[in-house]
Amino acid sequence: MELWILFGTFTVLMFIGTPIAFCLGLSALATALYMDLPPLIVFQQINTGMNAFSMMAIPFFIFAGDLMIRGGIAEKLIHFAASLVGHLRGGLGQVNVVSATLFGGISGSAVADASAIGGLMIPQMAARGYDRDYAVNVTVNAAIIALLIPPSHNMIIYSIAAGGNLSVADLFTAGILPGLLLAAALMVTAWWVARRRGYPADPFPGWRMVGWRLLVASPGILLIFIIFGGVRSGIFTATESSCIAVIYAFLIALFVYRQLDLAGFREATYGAVRTTAMVLLVIGTAQAFGWLMALLQVPAATVKLLESITTNPTLILLLVNVALLFLGTFMDMAPMIIILTPVLLPVVMKFGVDPVHFGVILILNAGIGLNTPPVGSVLFVGCAVGKITIREAMRTIWPFFGASIAVLLLVTYIPGLSLWLPALFR
Amino acid sequence: AAPPAAAQITLRSADIHPDGYPTVEAVIYMGKLVEERTKGRVKVKVFNNRQLGEEKDTIEQTRFGVIDMNRINTAPFNNLVPATQVLGLPFLFRSVEHMHKVVDGPIGDEILKEFEPHGLVALAFYDSGARSFYTTKKQIKSLEDVKGLKIRVQQSDLWIALMQAMGANATPMPFGELYSALQTGVVDGAENNWPSYESSRHFEVSKFYTITEHSLTPEVLVMAKKSFDKLTPEDQKIVRAAAKESVAEMRRLWVAREKASEAKVREAGAVVATVDKAPFIAAMKPVYDKFVTDAKMKDLVARIQATP
Amino acid sequence: MPALIRSLGRLNGLLAALCLALSALGMIGMTFVVGWQVFARYVLNDTPSWAEPMTLQLMGWFIILGAAVGVRENFHLGLDLVQHVAPAAVGKVLDAITFVLVILFGLAMSWYSLDLAIGTWAARLPVLGIPGGWDYMPQVIGGVVIALFALERLLERLAGIEHEGIAVQELA
Ligand code: NA
Ligand code: NA
Repeated sequence: MELWILFGTFTVLMFIGTPIAFCLGLSALATALYMDLPPLIVFQQINTGMNAFSMMAIPFFIFAGDLMIRGGIAEKLIHFAASLVGHLRGGLGQVNVVSATLFGGISGSAVADASAIGGLMIPQMAARGYDRDYAVNVTVNAAIIALLIPPSHNMIIYSIAAGGNLSVADLFTAGILPGLLLAAALMVTAWWVARRRGYPADPFPGWRMVGWRLLVASPGILLIFIIFGGVRSGIFTATESSCIAVIYAFLIALFVYRQLDLAGFREATYGAVRTTAMVLLVIGTAQAFGWLMALLQVPAATVKLLESITTNPTLILLLVNVALLFLGTFMDMAPMIIILTPVLLPVVMKFGVDPVHFGVILILNAGIGLNTPPVGSVLFVGCAVGKITIREAMRTIWPFFGASIAVLLLVTYIPGLSLWLPALFR
Repeated sequence: AAPPAAAQITLRSADIHPDGYPTVEAVIYMGKLVEERTKGRVKVKVFNNRQLGEEKDTIEQTRFGVIDMNRINTAPFNNLVPATQVLGLPFLFRSVEHMHKVVDGPIGDEILKEFEPHGLVALAFYDSGARSFYTTKKQIKSLEDVKGLKIRVQQSDLWIALMQAMGANATPMPFGELYSALQTGVVDGAENNWPSYESSRHFEVSKFYTITEHSLTPEVLVMAKKSFDKLTPEDQKIVRAAAKESVAEMRRLWVAREKASEAKVREAGAVVATVDKAPFIAAMKPVYDKFVTDAKMKDLVARIQATP
Repeated sequence: MPALIRSLGRLNGLLAALCLALSALGMIGMTFVVGWQVFARYVLNDTPSWAEPMTLQLMGWFIILGAAVGVRENFHLGLDLVQHVAPAAVGKVLDAITFVLVILFGLAMSWYSLDLAIGTWAARLPVLGIPGGWDYMPQVIGGVVIALFALERLLERLAGIEHEGIAVQELA
């Protein structure tokens, strides 16, 4: 009965349109009241969820992303990508993917990626005769790359949800190859769709121009190495690296590109505060929800249930992926990680899956979920930026979904894609 | 027809340690005793592995009666129950036997009583073994070697002061970030007991273990006063007795676990060394000066030191 | 009624601006503290032990105040599937239910967080030395602010006043 109240209240509230953060908090509160537990437990857990030291990476990376967008760093990365791959068929689609990959190396937020790259690329693409649905679909799918390529605060959330003994440096490293693989798959897809639709290509501007654009973009590219190298070599922790990213982005925007004025700084700060508050409130209430799930022994029951269906590791992983894709349609990234990690990690570990490997699987799944309605924040942002409806985007998104799911299957069944690089670095 | 079921109480108990850890097993053992002796009226269910939260969270949950029991280190109680601070003083206990003698005797009972004003009924002391240093780059051979090392400590005034007194750069950091920090060199070392050193896999990234045994802080099994008061006086007695009896079981498991962990990390390539403790002990005077301030604590420390 | 909504709107407008400004300051303050922590560890070889608990305090405040503003500016993500297909009257009722629940949640947050704050007041926070109850103060204040903002939205919705929200893309 307790479980019915917890999940039932959550589902009903979600369908009447209550914001997800409050759905989670209210269903936890209702369950605590029903179970005669002191209701203050809900608010203790919300507090714990929002205030973990490792969570600090979230505001910092979001803040850094905002500063990079407003300070011109993202724009310079796109210019560099345009000079490099703009001459391919459907060139601006390729530029979009490469830009997302580069930006993903300094930001961990797919939403920030979609709005930064999309905001700059989609209007250009539309002006050059690309259909808007194509521009939006490339943007929103490429944005997922940012979740896999380090830095990724979602990997940090996962490491916390997994009990805190997972090395963030390993998780960061594990995402690199899958992220690059996804980038490659999306570039092929973008090229294929572009060829069928007959989109144009730009002339190649010459290597001198590529070199010049690289030089101009180098402060942003350097940040990729500062963050990853800093964490990997132990100059600072992942949390600290996110703070360094803020300071660095601020200094570059102010002194090198000179694109940040007081109003821009204010907007970046306010924007980051809003996004952070939204994300962390969800994390806090998801923590309360997850606490009740633990008390009601949902994780143990799930292990039993899955084991009763099959004990074949290949099938278990397939089952887990299907469940994650389904849950991803209506769950946001952070609550998905916080709520499902304690439930699913013990299951897959029983079948010999490495927790670092599972982290990559989970993040990629949740990432694909960011582009599936009814709850898909990246898709929403992309559609808003591209000024098309979600229906229009969904009609032609399938080749891109196909590519993402193919990558998901490769990542799931070839552990080496995730585990080879971390082992090499260790 | 079946006879009507008697009113049943399931006590929810928290623990941060993984399955099979001595403290986890000991509370399960205690639960079995309680269930047997109350003829199933009272049961214990252990939620280990941080399922219900970190130590600070579960302390609050127990005090507010959200959960019923908690097996936890005494260090996180330092700022709530000042008497527990004494138990954490470096090199206070001369040996494990000395520590057992103190906590099993009247001094132990006296400290357990100090929890009552804070909504807690402290049932028994458990062990958490002796804590020693482990480092990433080179072995600690003397107090000199500790100087300037970045050593991770728990976020606690006492621990920061202890590290500073040894000349280390005390670096407070959540336990969850420590593996990475050791691996990448954000810190040069940390300190803990054999089982933690092993189960956290820290030995993979910091292989020099130096037996300093600077702290023998015991753990404690507490119960929410609200939950305790709900039991009949008869059941209360049973719970108290079972908790005390679980201590022997806990210690038996602990010794076995320590040996197993030590063997495992040695096999994995950990380099273990001993050290002359005298200079370390001498360096602790400022810590005692700073933390043993009032007459009550001074008396407690004196009596513990005087315990043979 | 409209007069009441207008005065509540004015009050809440000031409150929201204040919350946002404080949150922004908190964010900037955090950057300084963590930046200093890295600097001190390397350059001074002395890790400031107050840095971590201090940033956590700052974060506690800025998240909850920012989240409260989110109720007013309507930037918390939700599922608007039913809202899109249901008739306007049904949508109004559903929204009203949501706002009433959010008001109750905000008040519960204040009330129970106050319980938590009082109960943990005696335990001093390590290093900072301030009472442990400070951890919960942002929620005590934030809960009331959430309730106030949700009340404004409820009254507006009932009176049929269009609410100015902030679109998601402006957030990222
Ligand atoms: Na990234
Ligand atoms: Na979705």
